[in-house]
Amino acid sequence: MDCHDVRDHLLDFQRGQLGGDVATEVRRHIDGCVECAQADLVERELTLLLERRTPQYPAPIGLKRRLMARWPSAPGAGAPTARRPWPRVLVPAALAAAVLLLLVPVTFQLLSPHSQATAVMVSEAVNDHVRLLQSQHPLEVESSGIHQVIPWFTGKLDFAPGIRFAGDDEFPLRGGAVGYFVDRKAAAFVFGRRLHTISLFVFKAEGLSWPTSGLEHLGREEIYQSSARGFNVLLWREGELGYVLVSDVNAQDLKLLAAKLSP
Amino acid sequence: MPDPAVGDLGPEALAYADALHNLARYLTGNDTDAEDLVQETYSRALGSAGQFTPGTNLKAWLFRILRNTFISQYRRQRGNPTVGGLDTVAPIGYGPADVGRAKDEVELDRLRKVMAEEIERALMMLAEDARTVILLDLEGLTEVEVAHVLGCAVGTVKSRLFRARAALRALLKDWKR
Repeated sequence: MDCHDVRDHLLDFQRGQLGGDVATEVRRHIDGCVECAQADLVERELTLLLERRTPQYPAPIGLKRRLMARWPSAPGAGAPTARRPWPRVLVPAALAAAVLLLLVPVTFQLLSPHSQATAVMVSEAVNDHVRLLQSQHPLEVESSGIHQVIPWFTGKLDFAPGIRFAGDDEFPLRGGAVGYFVDRKAAAFVFGRRLHTISLFVFKAEGLSWPTSGLEHLGREEIYQSSARGFNVLLWREGELGYVLVSDVNAQDLKLLAAKLSP
Repeated sequence: MPDPAVGDLGPEALAYADALHNLARYLTGNDTDAEDLVQETYSRALGSAGQFTPGTNLKAWLFRILRNTFISQYRRQRGNPTVGGLDTVAPIGYGPADVGRAKDEVELDRLRKVMAEEIERALMMLAEDARTVILLDLEGLTEVEVAHVLGCAVGTVKSRLFRARAALRALLKDWKR
């Protein structure tokens, strides 16, 4: 088996889809060929990248409601209704909303590069949260014990993701995973809030465009609050580490957790 | 009058709305068209639910309807046919330059720093069939299921995925930040 054959089989090999003999041959070749071993690493990294970082676009709630209403005998179903004209009283409000929507892109273009960088951080935080929720195994370590979760990160990150809050009845810790934030690895802690999920990403803060305005004091830290695609996001920096909380819970609940994490 | 079996499909079919919308968003490139495409997909699924064979893969069946709807309606309507396509891409060769260790190490280092928005941009630059095969693979569909969605042979899926990933890697590797 030469390099060409190995490259053709690489993806199947990584997914355990090759028969025993062929898999053994590929394994043997990779062990003895520096170039194919490197190609194996590159292919694995691409898979990891796609699985963990590809932005996800779940169906908006409004679309789901419309689909449910149209599908016979689905929960909440009903006969399709004819479209009714908007009540006259709503027309000025709709026009105002339309004007606002037209202005939004203009406003975004007027943002300073720094504000745009912050907007990217917020958007990435939401992407990372959604990706974590949608992955088949969102938690690589499932435990409500902080002293089980933090040691699990040893050797998986080049920093110690210490947090001061171990979870409680209001915000139970569910576990953790290695995630990503923007261009770096992050420790992802997952907390619960009733039926909601909250992600906390802890990562090395250096090299990111941290917001310098619009900050508010919370506990010992200055926190930046924003939202995107229906998710609330809190960002703050503490020494060399950055912290991001993301969830669909309301901003007040998220601040309660932030206050516990940074008392 | 809808087929009586249609209602039985409802809860399971609607459970795939997120996955369908995700693919629709990557095919159309915008939220409005993605929503329209998903609505049209479910509308067509509703109309042809009797053709669905119970016990076969409902998710793959819905993906197939979505992609066919996209090809038959959106791409032509918008005068935006896929330029080229994977079959026009030269086969990937493995000359000395392709297997250089230093080159692969640079690529590995570059891949580790890729941001989410760069992946999206790179995906959108791929031909539609390349983008689709990568996204369906990412959804966890088997090669047989992807072949059903794309209407091609299983062997074709393998080679398309191979070339699509190579094209994506090339785009990500050369990205200027």
